[in-house]
Amino acid sequence: MSTQKRRNFQIEAFKHRVVVDPKYAEKTWNILEHAIHEIYNHNASGLSFEELYRNAYNMVLHKFGEKLYSGLVTTMTMHLREISKSIEDAQGGSFLEELNRKWADHNKALQMIRDILMYMDRTFIPSTHKTPVHALGLNLWRDNIIHSSNIQTRLLNTLLDLVQEERTGEIIDRWLVRNVIMMLMDLGSAVYQEDFEKHFLNVSANFYSVESQQFIECCDCGDYLKKAERRLNEEMERVSQYLDPSSEAKITNVVEKEMIANHMHRLVHMENSGLVNMLVDDKYEDLGRMYSLFRRVPDGLSLIRDVMTSHIRDTGRQLVTDPEKARNPVDFVQRLLDEKDKHDKIISMAFNNDKTFQNALNSSFEYFINLNPRSPEFISLFVDEKLRKGLKGYSEEDVEVVLDKVMMLFRYLQEKDVFEKYYKQHLAKRLLSGKTVSDDAERSLIVKLKTECGYQFTSKLEGMFTDMKTSQDTMQGFHASQATNLGDGPTLVVQVLTTGSWPTQPSPACNLPAEILGVCEKFRMYYLGTHTGRRLSWQTNMGTADLKATFGKGQKHELNVSTYQMCILMLFNNADRLSYKEIEQATEIPASDLKRSLQSLALIKGKNVLRKEPMSKDIGEDDAFFFNDKFTSKFIKLKINTVNAQKESEPEKQETRQRVEEDRKPQVEAAIVRIMKSRRVLDHNNIVAEVTKQLQSRFLPNPVVIKKRIESLIEREFLERDKVDRKLYRYLA
Amino acid sequence: MKKEEMVTLISAEGFEFVIDKKAAMVSQTIRNMLTSPGSFAESREGKVTFPEISTAILEKICQYFYWSLQYASGKETEFHIEPEMTLELMMAANYLHT
Repeated sequence: MSTQKRRNFQIEAFKHRVVVDPKYAEKTWNILEHAIHEIYNHNASGLSFEELYRNAYNMVLHKFGEKLYSGLVTTMTMHLREISKSIEDAQGGSFLEELNRKWADHNKALQMIRDILMYMDRTFIPSTHKTPVHALGLNLWRDNIIHSSNIQTRLLNTLLDLVQEERTGEIIDRWLVRNVIMMLMDLGSAVYQEDFEKHFLNVSANFYSVESQQFIECCDCGDYLKKAERRLNEEMERVSQYLDPSSEAKITNVVEKEMIANHMHRLVHMENSGLVNMLVDDKYEDLGRMYSLFRRVPDGLSLIRDVMTSHIRDTGRQLVTDPEKARNPVDFVQRLLDEKDKHDKIISMAFNNDKTFQNALNSSFEYFINLNPRSPEFISLFVDEKLRKGLKGYSEEDVEVVLDKVMMLFRYLQEKDVFEKYYKQHLAKRLLSGKTVSDDAERSLIVKLKTECGYQFTSKLEGMFTDMKTSQDTMQGFHASQATNLGDGPTLVVQVLTTGSWPTQPSPACNLPAEILGVCEKFRMYYLGTHTGRRLSWQTNMGTADLKATFGKGQKHELNVSTYQMCILMLFNNADRLSYKEIEQATEIPASDLKRSLQSLALIKGKNVLRKEPMSKDIGEDDAFFFNDKFTSKFIKLKINTVNAQKESEPEKQETRQRVEEDRKPQVEAAIVRIMKSRRVLDHNNIVAEVTKQLQSRFLPNPVVIKKRIESLIEREFLERDKVDRKLYRYLA
Repeated sequence: MKKEEMVTLISAEGFEFVIDKKAAMVSQTIRNMLTSPGSFAESREGKVTFPEISTAILEKICQYFYWSLQYASGKETEFHIEPEMTLELMMAANYLHT
């Protein structure tokens, strides 16, 4: 370690050669004082900077700094008093100009003085902790001019009057005002705030309070917002033009509070022009304005959001609960989609794509879509319609867009399993009748469902596609093997469906005509020959057939009919007249299906290949049917529809619902067991909560149902109640 | 060189040194003299008289101004000062705020 200490060298002040004249200080100061007078009188050109600087330098060096400083204060104060008088004397409009001119003069003089007295600024002032020359000059200006009783209020009022004039549309000298404001800022932000800003904000608040009251009495919401926006922009421009930037937040705050926050509720709910009307009329501009204005005030956006939510919920509820509108499912869903599009557009155009608004929209949709228990069915029907024919001629991207929209509605559904049920039915019909427009679209939708709900949800749907594919191969094999001995009998196309994947209801097979039966038998032999251990049963209620028929005058038509209709028509090969009872006996078609088939054969105009007696609109059990010899049509090919894929009738609906409920039971049980297996012991409420959580991607289980399932599981000894606490359940391994 | 870019420094004995304004402004005091608002005699005439600085010292000072400019632009050299001048130079430096 070094022990050597640095010695502090003290350099003594240099002893000046000049013999100290007792009157030296007085003389020197007089020179400087004179110079200051000259500077204030714009007469500085004759002065020598070097001389003045040297004098000030020497004064400080000879310890007359105090005298120099106090002399400066006195001299400057004296000059400022004079200036103050001349400003006070200025009349009317020239007041500000005079003030501004004098301020510029003072500033210039101050700088010159500071330069001359630089040595004092550099050495004397820091050592004695006095105010530096420049700051001193500003302080003196503030105290003698701005805070002089005759100027202070006059200045304030002049400024405020000018602002007021500008607000009422007059042109003012912004440059002048800006200079004066800058002067206030130069004197310190405290001066600006105390002597101007504070009062400015108060006056503005009053002004806007009165103005907004006037506006709201006579304007509609859109106009009011336009005016408010304009005012807000004006104030911001004012700040940027001639006020200090620190005022911007404050003055906009005042405008926001007076013009928006205070009238927020009234604006939103304004009759005939409020938020709801804007939403209804798609007024993007007004809505955007409302959004950007309300965003500035606390609770503004949440108010908009709440009103929008309740509006969407209301309209949505009307939409889904109106029995008129529920009549056509495709329109129903289209309306939902339109509604969604409309609001999506509003949110993206006017509400800045605000996430909270999107969420509000989504939750509203979720709320009202589930108000109608038939929504899942309708959505599936909508898809059905689109995939059958609606999407014909659409490009791939357009199809994707439609499907994405459907998926979006699907996401809102709580009872996703109900949708699945219907979707399966509709898909089965589409596949079997070969009516689907595009396989790609079908598959794309299934992929979407899969990503949304998992593999389990779509495995059966995919199974259906696989079946269709295998059936094609099987048929090729069959036809190849039978090519020689089929002759020109009817061509058979069989689709082999895996039980379980398809929504088939076991229905008694009808009696097929002998011609068909033969081919069927051949197929059975072929199929069972290649696949052992399988069982085939015919689903005659799902097939279709193409028939060639010759009518009275020899004209030929090709009829595309269902299997049932084919069976009925084949009977007429051997008879011209058959009664309802005879047909029923011969075919053994279930009564409801038979009636529907007959209805479409005999009662639809232009397609009535059968004639019925008596002529009435319904099929009665005592009716008789004739082959309609006089049938004519300009089409060679005729498609005879069975009344199909419409909305379900009331009993069918009940039935589907029941099946859904039935299907839910094992799912609920599985969920309970899964949960209990990991938790071992859990109380009732927690089980219900967990089960609901696990299953909500598919449906919303009813607590009562869960309770019943728990009881059933206890009965079957999967669970037991805790002996002490009856609310607890225990898992029995 | 243009006249506006030069300034004349006059010593106590009346010797005139004509140097670049840029160099002279190394001194804060001279800078103020030449740039202060309003027109002091010095900035009008481009002449500054120093009745308290001798010729020898002022010459050294002018040399220093140029050296300082060079030094600031990156040329690191020594500036030699004769010991007998030291005191007077220091006083002048204080006066000129260099």
